[in-house]
This record gives sequence, C-alpha cells and structure tokens, in this order.
Amino acid sequence: MAGFLKVLFRNLLEGPSTDPFPLGPTRMEPERLRGKVVVDETLCMGCGICVYSCVAGAINIQHTEEGHTITIWHNACCRCASCKQFCPVHAITLVKDWHSAHEERDKYNVVEQKSIQYEPCSVCGKKIRPVPTEILKKLYVNNSDIDLEHVQHLCPACRQLEDARRSAGLPAAAEQPAVES
Amino acid sequence: MSITTYTMPLGPVHVALEEPVYFNLTVEGENIKNVELTSGHVHRGMERLAMQRNLVKNVTLTERVCSLCSNSHSFTYCNVVENALNLEIPERAKYLRVMAEEIKRIASHLFNTAIQAHIAGFKSLFMHVMEVREIMQDVKETVYGNRMNLATNCIGGVKSDVDDELIEYILKQLDVIEPQLEELRDIFENNHIMLTRTKGLGLLPPEDAEALGVCGPVARGSGLRRDVRFDSPYAAYPNLEFDMIVEDGCCVHSRTMVRIRELFESMKLIRQCCERMPHGPVRAPMVQIPVTEAFAHTEAPRGEVAYYIRTNGSDTPARLKWRVPSYMNWKALGVMMRGCQIAEVALVLNSIDPCVSCTER
Repeated sequence: MAGFLKVLFRNLLEGPSTDPFPLGPTRMEPERLRGKVVVDETLCMGCGICVYSCVAGAINIQHTEEGHTITIWHNACCRCASCKQFCPVHAITLVKDWHSAHEERDKYNVVEQKSIQYEPCSVCGKKIRPVPTEILKKLYVNNSDIDLEHVQHLCPACRQLEDARRSAGLPAAAEQPAVES
Repeated sequence: MSITTYTMPLGPVHVALEEPVYFNLTVEGENIKNVELTSGHVHRGMERLAMQRNLVKNVTLTERVCSLCSNSHSFTYCNVVENALNLEIPERAKYLRVMAEEIKRIASHLFNTAIQAHIAGFKSLFMHVMEVREIMQDVKETVYGNRMNLATNCIGGVKSDVDDELIEYILKQLDVIEPQLEELRDIFENNHIMLTRTKGLGLLPPEDAEALGVCGPVARGSGLRRDVRFDSPYAAYPNLEFDMIVEDGCCVHSRTMVRIRELFESMKLIRQCCERMPHGPVRAPMVQIPVTEAFAHTEAPRGEVAYYIRTNGSDTPARLKWRVPSYMNWKALGVMMRGCQIAEVALVLNSIDPCVSCTER
C-alpha cells in the first residue's frame, strides 16, 4: 500500500496534469498534428488521385469546360492523410488546425472548396489548366533555355508541337495559327 | 434445475468496457455454473466494405476496425497485400513499422491495466495509469499526428519518415515513462487491493488454453509460449532482441503481469529501432496486381491477427478476411468464469482484454 501512497502524495503536490483548455492554452499542438485538410489551388491539377484514395468519400472534383472545383467535406474527412501522400503535386496538406466545432445548421457547409479557372491556350485557344510554375520548374529542370512563361499557356498538343519544332531547330510558332487535326 | 439455480442475463451494455457483450450466466446463488456468450451487437460488415473498396482505401478502413490495436490491423493488412504483390519493402520502413506497433502496444497494455484497476474499484490507480499512458499518447500525437489512428502504414512502406529530432524526442519520452512504469509494476505486483481482487481469479489451465487455441497475453499468462513475433518473425523483428514474457499463474493477475512486463520489452524494441534503423527510402513503388491469394499474421497487443486476401487482378480485393485474437480468447471466458462470483465477471472479462469491435467487425 505504501507504494501507491507515495504516488498519491506526489500527484497531490504536483497539481493537475490536465490543460486548462479552453480557458488556457493547450500544450499539445505538435507540428505534425493531422488537422484540417487544405488545398493549394495554385497547384491542384484536378487529377483525382485524392478522390481515388479517400476512403471516406470526402473529396469531390467537378470538371467543367471553364475549370474544376475541388471540395473536401471536413465532417466526412477522417484525416488519414492518404490524399496528402498520393497528391503528385503536393497540393494537399493537413494543417495543425484541429478546431472543428460548428453550428448544426452548418454541417454540410464546413468544407474546403477551391475553384480553378482554366485559361485559353495561347496558340489554339482550347481551355486548359495552366501548368503551375512550381511544377514546370521541376519538369524543365534540365532545360534552362525554355521560356516557362510561354510553355505555361500552351495546351498539351501545342506543347508537343512546340517541342517537336524546337528539336528540329525550327522557330517557335506562338503567332502561327494552330494546325487543325 | 434446483431452486437456487437460475439464469442471469448480464450486458450487453457496459459489462467491463463500453463495448457490448451479452452473457447468459447460469448461477447457483452467487456462483457461476455455466457461461453462454452472445455477440454481434456491433457488426458493421467491414469485410464486405473492404471488398467494395480499392487496396489503398482499405489501409484506412482496416485501421478503423478497432481503436486500441488500430495500427496492428493496417500493419497486417499492408503485409498481406505486399505478400500478394510480392513487394519487398525498404529496410527503414520495416523498423518504422515495428516502432509504431510497439508504441501502440505500450498504450494499449497500459489502457487495459488501467481498466483493471478501475474495475477492481481502485479509481485513483486507474487515474494514475491513465496519466502515465498520456506520455505515450503525446508521443503518438507528436510523431504521427493523432492520438489513436497513427495512419503510418501504407502499401509498400510507411507514409511519413521519422526524422532524427523526433527519434530524440521518442527516446527522451521513454526515459520519462520508464521509472513510472517500474513504479506501476511494483504496485501491481505487491498492492494488497489488486492482489486480493485478481490473484487466483479466472483460472485458465494450460490444457484448456491449448485446447481453446487462445493467443496473446492470455496464452502467455497460462504458461504457453506463443507469440507471432517469435514463431514467425516479420518486419524488423528478426533483427531485434527481446524476450517472450510468460507467467504460469493462469489467473487474472498473471495476465496483467504479462502485459506490464511486456511494456519493458516494447520499450527495449523501440530503443533498438531508434538505434539500428538504417537510412534510406521509406516506400517502395506500387507494382501490378496479379490474380493471387496471400496470408499474413502479426502479434497485436491482444494476440495474433491474421489476414487473408484474394485478388482478382483489379484494384479491389475479391475477398479480404481477417481473424482477431479476441475471437479465440473470449471462448476461454467460459472456462475462466466457471466457479467465479457474479461480481468478478467484469474483472475476468477485462483480463482477456476483449476487443468486441474487432471480433464482430
């Protein structure tokens, strides 16, 4: 019995070991805490691997001619970080924010929603998702002669043609009309 | 049936834990003569759910089978998929997986030990054990980002690396928890209240244990040398040194002591992982899914978890089946409870560390 009495007295002297939250700060907010999911709309390409890997079905991506919208329902999200792991462009992150209290009427509106507008291809005018500069820098890391600003606004087909012209030593065709195929 | 013999229903709500088990006890006065168990109250059809989801989603789904051994499920599931795909995971990932598993084991065993004190009526000891367990919860939250579901396993390795700074943190926290665990071991070994409530209670003789096929701390508490980590080593366990804890008291107390002594073995394993973990990648790339079947088993905090998978070449398994330790262990309750008093049912039930949500999935 003496063994536990020792523990009892020590705990009595040390005072409460719980945090006074919400009246005071909580000491547990580690850097790697898996809180709310956040999408970086400057990076999201709308590839849908996050939808594929989300077991909770919390992610939806809607594609239209004008762009795509990614929606993540926080109340469905189970914070397993699969989307973050599989996102090829690292557009999804889980931030430290774990506060999720909200009013009942808002239960379907607690979302992370980002819309990405497509822009016309500078050559053929087809609506495309401009490749984010960060990704272009990685893609063309060994081709410092390529103008990223120019390539960014080309659709995949025009980019391919452009690449073929460059390889053949022909001038870039930014001003030429698109080849109808 | 004599006038003093009658059947007494117990449960399904809150027998020992907040998990539903329904007992039909045949009692003679206060003494239990026969035990019948009914289960199925929390069946969620998870095997069926798994067969409707792709392999990647199932990692997260299996992690939600159970809360205390959540990591063991995703760990074994990843193992079985890797066996099916013939995927060799990087060395560092093996150590990281073992580390997560052992951190979960410490927290799980401490939880069961705390509940043991709670049921015995020793509330202050319960609170103290839970406070000690909080150190491990903090480790989980800091290293993996969540207190229960670590979400560290993925097919081909682990989701996130543990850097040197975090390893230092883990080692520091282990140094903090170790003296407190030693103190707890002393209390559970010698405390008069705990000894009178648990010693000699809920006997499971080795012959019965063998016949019922029990596993985990229940088997080891009855003197059986049975541990998947030894019998068919997996992940990084073949490279690590630790002892199998066996007690031969066959009673509730010896099962508790197995768990408490295993805490120290788990700490030894975590320290070895931190020390010996090689550098390198933590994930192997995915390969094509063949039409095949595979099996994997690991030692969860409660005993052997076994997974079977049959693939059909698509990304969705044709069959995913798992068997959890509590399934065998709670059959042993019939033997353990015979001759006990009604007031002791909760203590005996807790001694097998039942996981109803696992068993009924």
